[in-house]
Amino acid sequence: MSSKKGSSAASQVVHLECKNLHSYLKSQTQIISKLYEEPSICLAAYRDLPEIAKQFVIRMLCVEQPVPQAVVQSWGSQVYAKENLAACEALTELRIWTEASISGGLTAWDLTPSFKRNLKIAWLGGGRSWSMFNSVEQNDAKSRDISFLDNYAMSRWNCLLHYMVDSNASKGSEMEGISVDAVRIILHANLMNRNEQDGSYMLTSQGFQFLLMDTQSQVWHFMLQYLNTCEQRGLSLVDCLSMLFQLSFSTLGRDYSSEGLSENMQTFLQHLREFGLVYQRTRKERRFFPTRLALNFTTKNAIVPENIIENGNINNNINKLQQSDDTNYEKGYIIVETNYRVYAYTDSKLQISLLALFTELLYRFPNVTVGVITRDSIRQALRGGITSRQIISYLEQHAHPKMIANASTSSFKTTSFLPPTVIDQIKLWENERNRFSFIDGVVYNQFLSEADFMTLRDYAQSIDVLLWQNERTRTMVVKKTGHEDVKKFWKRYSKG
Amino acid sequence: MSKSKGRKRKNEDEYDLQTILEDDISNDGTTEAAVPQASGRNAEKNDDGIQEDEYGAKDYRMHLELKTDHSSRPLYVAPNGHIFLETFSPVYKNAHDFLIAISEPVCRPEHIHEYKLTAYSLYAAVSVGLQTHDIIEYLRRLCKTSIPKGIEEFIKLCTLSYGKVKLVLKHNRYFIESPHPEILQKLLKDPVIQQCRLKRTEENMGEEFIKSQQNMKGVTFGQKTTVEEPEGNNEKNQVPEDLQKLIDNEEEEEEVNLETVSFEVDQEKIEIIQKRCIEIDHPLLAEYDFRNDTINKDINIDLKPAAVLRPYQEKSLRKMFGNGRARSGVIVLPCGAGKSLVGVTACCTVRKRALVLCNSGVSVEQWKQQFKMWSTADDSMICRFTSEAKDKPMGCGILITTYSMITHTQKRSWEAEQTMKWLQEQEWGIMVLDEVHTIPAKMFRRVLTIVQSHCKLGLTATLLREDDKIADLNFLIGPKLYEANWLELQKNGYIARVACAEVWCPMTAEFYREYLIAKVSKRMLLYVMNPNKFRMCQYLIQYHERRGDKIIVFSDNVFALKHYAKKMNKPYIYGPTLQNERIQILQNFKFNPKVNTIFVSKVADTSFDLPEANVLIQISSHGGSRRQEAQRLGRILRAKKGSFAEEYNAFFYTLVSQDTMEMSYSRKRQRFLVNQGYSYKVITHLSGMDEDQSLFYKTREEQGQLLQQVLAASDIDCEDEKVPGEIGGSRPGTSRKTGGFSSLSGADNEVYFEQKKKSSVQHPLFKRFR
Repeated sequence: MSSKKGSSAASQVVHLECKNLHSYLKSQTQIISKLYEEPSICLAAYRDLPEIAKQFVIRMLCVEQPVPQAVVQSWGSQVYAKENLAACEALTELRIWTEASISGGLTAWDLTPSFKRNLKIAWLGGGRSWSMFNSVEQNDAKSRDISFLDNYAMSRWNCLLHYMVDSNASKGSEMEGISVDAVRIILHANLMNRNEQDGSYMLTSQGFQFLLMDTQSQVWHFMLQYLNTCEQRGLSLVDCLSMLFQLSFSTLGRDYSSEGLSENMQTFLQHLREFGLVYQRTRKERRFFPTRLALNFTTKNAIVPENIIENGNINNNINKLQQSDDTNYEKGYIIVETNYRVYAYTDSKLQISLLALFTELLYRFPNVTVGVITRDSIRQALRGGITSRQIISYLEQHAHPKMIANASTSSFKTTSFLPPTVIDQIKLWENERNRFSFIDGVVYNQFLSEADFMTLRDYAQSIDVLLWQNERTRTMVVKKTGHEDVKKFWKRYSKG
Repeated sequence: MSKSKGRKRKNEDEYDLQTILEDDISNDGTTEAAVPQASGRNAEKNDDGIQEDEYGAKDYRMHLELKTDHSSRPLYVAPNGHIFLETFSPVYKNAHDFLIAISEPVCRPEHIHEYKLTAYSLYAAVSVGLQTHDIIEYLRRLCKTSIPKGIEEFIKLCTLSYGKVKLVLKHNRYFIESPHPEILQKLLKDPVIQQCRLKRTEENMGEEFIKSQQNMKGVTFGQKTTVEEPEGNNEKNQVPEDLQKLIDNEEEEEEVNLETVSFEVDQEKIEIIQKRCIEIDHPLLAEYDFRNDTINKDINIDLKPAAVLRPYQEKSLRKMFGNGRARSGVIVLPCGAGKSLVGVTACCTVRKRALVLCNSGVSVEQWKQQFKMWSTADDSMICRFTSEAKDKPMGCGILITTYSMITHTQKRSWEAEQTMKWLQEQEWGIMVLDEVHTIPAKMFRRVLTIVQSHCKLGLTATLLREDDKIADLNFLIGPKLYEANWLELQKNGYIARVACAEVWCPMTAEFYREYLIAKVSKRMLLYVMNPNKFRMCQYLIQYHERRGDKIIVFSDNVFALKHYAKKMNKPYIYGPTLQNERIQILQNFKFNPKVNTIFVSKVADTSFDLPEANVLIQISSHGGSRRQEAQRLGRILRAKKGSFAEEYNAFFYTLVSQDTMEMSYSRKRQRFLVNQGYSYKVITHLSGMDEDQSLFYKTREEQGQLLQQVLAASDIDCEDEKVPGEIGGSRPGTSRKTGGFSSLSGADNEVYFEQKKKSSVQHPLFKRFR
């Protein structure tokens, strides 16, 4: 008798992991205490907390001794015990508070001293002032308006995306290239990798998923990757993070001084300038403007240009940043029809090539591209590691204003601007690929006698690990988890 | 005696399918000969030379120049004749009317419509009076880009010779008429046509033509309903000036008098001249100047004041009677959108003897009802001519009959013989052909040789045939005059808002095992009789009956039909059901609150008017027929009263067994409706079904018994019902490869091998991605 190990045939596609601020801070266990030395980081961490956790922090902020856990528990109603628990857990995970024992054998919560101190500073002032808020000059001369900054930010960011899509084809053509540092980050993040033979770069499946994300998530993901490598560049992670958060609390359209920044932070500022998070007229100039990309860095709900808050109240999970109807940002350009036709009003190479990931393109007109979503085109995308959710969210993000208008005027409640049948079908096509379920198993065959086979089979069946059996060929498959037991049984049985 | 009578009825009423098929095939050669050469032209190949971009799309960017004010113009024209129209453009309405006239709609969903220029559509365009120059000019102005060169040439090629010459019957004399004297000169140089020319007097021997002025005064239909649409002034501002001018001009154009020249031709040689004209690429358009026809006396028929035409009905009729004469052609309206009223109005406008042809006895009755409802015609004026009802034809104005009655070749009863004789002797003013797409070309030709009629109006919901023979209709009846937009009618509440759903029923393990090993013919029965499908069907019926809906269940397969109906104790209608029993069931369905569900076979596909029904469940269907799908949807399309509050007021379910051939058929069937803007929701699970104890076939034993019954069914049971009068076409899944099982497994030196076809167009990004 022999046994072979079967392995599941499903090739695993790596899905792009996109952490939020909470899970990022959670993962920085070694330096988290150092991080809390910076008021701006404390403020950002606080803002990211669940509402109940925020309450807890405020109540305890000025209490100079640990608060018994029972007391904390009594603050919330029993009905919301689950929420309370979640809030407590979040605070523990982020080490905002720690468990302490007080007299009487009670356990209590104690706010981390550095966090407590620096959050107070952030709110109440004191301490050393934030470096970039130093000595603000008169900002009348050469100030930049918001739409200019928005355009600048998007053009810089798109430059990066263009590079990813088109790194080999148009080197040094009409668009400016990106720096070696940026390329290094892309490679580090495994968004692209290098072909050993010809040295060209190619996108990875994570790269595709990255491209399909909305801009805010892209910036966040990209900057995290940057921070992971900043120590190698001789930059301090704490300083960089602190600076980023300071930027995210700044005012759009205002200028800030770079005077007080250290040498390292000047370098960091130049990187941010390259990615479009800040605008600086020249390298030498001592003023800079944060852009919307920097402002939206930490916030859960992106700051939206005011004029679309009024009419864009349809769907919360879409990134409104890109749907502003003025010229600052790109308008949505994709129309999806119920017959799976896709019309894209664009001639951007980046957008067309992204669309081509999951649609079959039919015609290219000077400013519109006609395509169709087919089973094959979607399956090709799925094979490339893209998920149906990513495709749908991409289409939603870039929906043409006409589609949005129709969805909002129609009297029927819709959760998306896209035709529901198309969404359903894309999901069904994905499910179609998942109809096999894989169970690891071990094959037993070449039994010498029928009786041997029967005995072992009956045993496997009795402990509920038998997956499949065939009496004629004397073959059976047991679950991998049951393999040890069956093997032991077989040894005992064959010995006597 | 009674037995032989029954047989005879069958022969008369139901045309033998086989003969039609054979006739159609044997006649193919001549069919083609009667179609002008230009019709074979195709713009599709015009862009063969165009480069493809890296994604495999046709790249027109080099060939088309974008206009600076492109955002205010509504369309793109591709070099292969496809046109894309934005429905949100301010000039959409005008552009849409224009495109409907010159091209075929490909798909019309919500935002962007696709049309296609074809030789036939351009032929139709010129026949309703559009000029080559105007078409190109208008298209140029509407287009966001420059017009592709090839398209301009294509339009010229297809329109220059078409529609220039008309055959007009005036004062009971036939004239060949044209606004272009040079073309008549050319025609007269042809020896054949020369012979046909009729010269009345010696003085008229010269080459002089008869000059006349044609008054292009329009015709009004009944009570006019002019719905003026308030047009915002600010909207007009967005329209480029040249475009606006053109639109304004177009609206005035209708009142122009046209100078025409003509010569008279010999009535006996009409056939010859028609044929000759097609050969020399100048097909004659038949027009009937019914106002000046004094020989055929008027019949006394008018629309009732209560008959109000909807805007699209009026528009379609205006196309037909655009210049004060009656053109022949086809009008395409969705089922339930009031085709009969269009037909009745056309008859009332012409006011000459009218012949209405439809395809079943039931619809003959329904047409009579329609005439009595909308017009002043009474019983004495309407004559039915079917095997069951033979009214006295003499002195009547309107005769309603079926295609098979007219084309019947075997012996008829004496009565029928007399009627036929009379029918053949008459000169009919107008012939209305209902459900024109269902009839084989051969049958038409027979009708046309038997009946002498001045103009022909075809009515249909779907100008669509799986065999693509539909093009022939263009030259047998006339061009397509009008085609309505389904989605628009639905929006305006003229037809019901239908929720379409495809319900996936998983095959039970036992049935699926049999399915995989069964013969092809048996498979169909297995997936129709799938117990899960039965339960799903039963569940849906119960659900909708509780809501107070009226439900029709369709099954092409008679075995399944009977089984489902008997098991659930519902009435059913299929081929052999007698006429009066059918009517009785339908009456009960209409008026009896206890009969809310009926089962029908494909006999009810067309022209069963069931205005009450609002739920349709399809359990088996004819392969991948798009037409059948559209026709069936039509059964529940008639506008429902007072249910505006709900999003949908009608429901169309198709039950398909998962992982069987049905899935791919179903996808194919839906294509037409999807292109009209309908969308199908896929339902994979109905909540509450598992708990419902009243459903049948819950246990394995019951399912096993059902399987036994299915396996025991004979081969005939496995087949679709054959309904006379339909176009055959191969039955689904019967393509057999020669050689037995052994040859497939390699025994006859045949090798089985798989070829992995790489998808030809790979995304360039994926090429890099390994």
